[in-house]
Amino acid sequence: MMMEESIERARCEELAKSSSFYRKVYSEIEEVGWESLRRLGGDLTFFSFHILDKKGRAHILELQLDRDYPNSPPSLSADVPYMFSLEWSTSSRLKDVMHQFQKHLDSLQEFWSVLDDIDKSLSVVDAKQPSRASPIRRILAGKECNIIAHINFNDPKSLPECRFIGPEPTAVNNLLMIWRRNSKKWSKEKSFLENLECILGTELPKPPDEELGARSGTRTDYTCENISCNKSFHSLCLTDWLRSITTTRQSFDVLFGNCPYCSDPVAVKINNMNKLD
Amino acid sequence: MSSSGAPSHKALSKIACKRLQKELVEWQMNPPTGFKHKVTDNLQRWIIEVIGAPGTLYANETYQLQVDFPEHYPMESPQVIFLLPAPLHPHIYSNGHICLDILYDSWSPAMTVSSICISILSMLSSSTEKQRPTDNDRYVQNCKNGRSPKETRWWFHDDKV
Repeated sequence: MMMEESIERARCEELAKSSSFYRKVYSEIEEVGWESLRRLGGDLTFFSFHILDKKGRAHILELQLDRDYPNSPPSLSADVPYMFSLEWSTSSRLKDVMHQFQKHLDSLQEFWSVLDDIDKSLSVVDAKQPSRASPIRRILAGKECNIIAHINFNDPKSLPECRFIGPEPTAVNNLLMIWRRNSKKWSKEKSFLENLECILGTELPKPPDEELGARSGTRTDYTCENISCNKSFHSLCLTDWLRSITTTRQSFDVLFGNCPYCSDPVAVKINNMNKLD
Repeated sequence: MSSSGAPSHKALSKIACKRLQKELVEWQMNPPTGFKHKVTDNLQRWIIEVIGAPGTLYANETYQLQVDFPEHYPMESPQVIFLLPAPLHPHIYSNGHICLDILYDSWSPAMTVSSICISILSMLSSSTEKQRPTDNDRYVQNCKNGRSPKETRWWFHDDKV
């Protein structure tokens, strides 16, 4: 009997402890604002907040709480080049974490502006959605060479550390020599693209059209077989259209529908090539 | 009129932008007869003046069309409505909504603002009496919350007018 009672008491204490934990976490999330909450683990020990920085870039801060929270601070993770050191006392609350994270984001604004500038103005290799944490950008510099630029997050507008790689050693070395000779021309006043083009003395490839990828500006490759119509299409565009309407039929990898101009039957082979190849 | 069927506020895609710029240039070179595009800096919403064709019930009357383009135009049809007062016509509701199949189920990306305008003018011109659709009051009541005509399940029962 005694045994059962003590087990029961221990269970109640455990429950009371976890219910006060839940209440605390719940009220602290409320302080931050439910609208910022993105994910929430069932036991409230894991969740993430959404936050916008000054330039309107969206960031996600993931928090992991220990059972003895707030005695031990939450562990944090986010898509940032380095994490700030959290100032924490037992009276600290989640809103203090968010406040410190916001300040950290503020301090990284110039760094991300430089990266955004690179992603917008240059052809960045293998980065559909480049990470906000990575200070590295691999930039296409013609057929022969890639530039791996390493942005200094303490001084993002300064001369980046650059490596040159490519299949042709002579072309790569050539570019490297020009880079070394002219790198003192780097100016914090100019954009990244201007600096790079000025130093290398050449025009660099621009980013591909984001919707059509490599096929932007290419010629049409499908023609309506109705001789009096004879309209030409990009099969990619025609496929997009046929897939968006309910009357289209598909057999294996061919879509059967009607020509947008003359309504005569058309049959397009689905091209499996990625849109953003 | 900004409350009338506010379309989604998603910005135009690059493809939509290019296409509309092209249409605008073509319109300026060769505007459809009876229409005037009111110049604004908003590519996503065109306001177009319609003048009733001579010799029809709407001769010398002027109306305004509002054309709103979705993000993925021309894969998706634009929303086309008459600004008030809308012409009295058996296929035009008093809230400006137009019952015309090409604006909804029969839309094709091969159509353009210009071809839509011509279809609307020919719809006006072929009308033999100035009256509202028979279900006007019920329909307009149903759209009170600012619903877009593109959300209506249209039933195109009559292709004479």
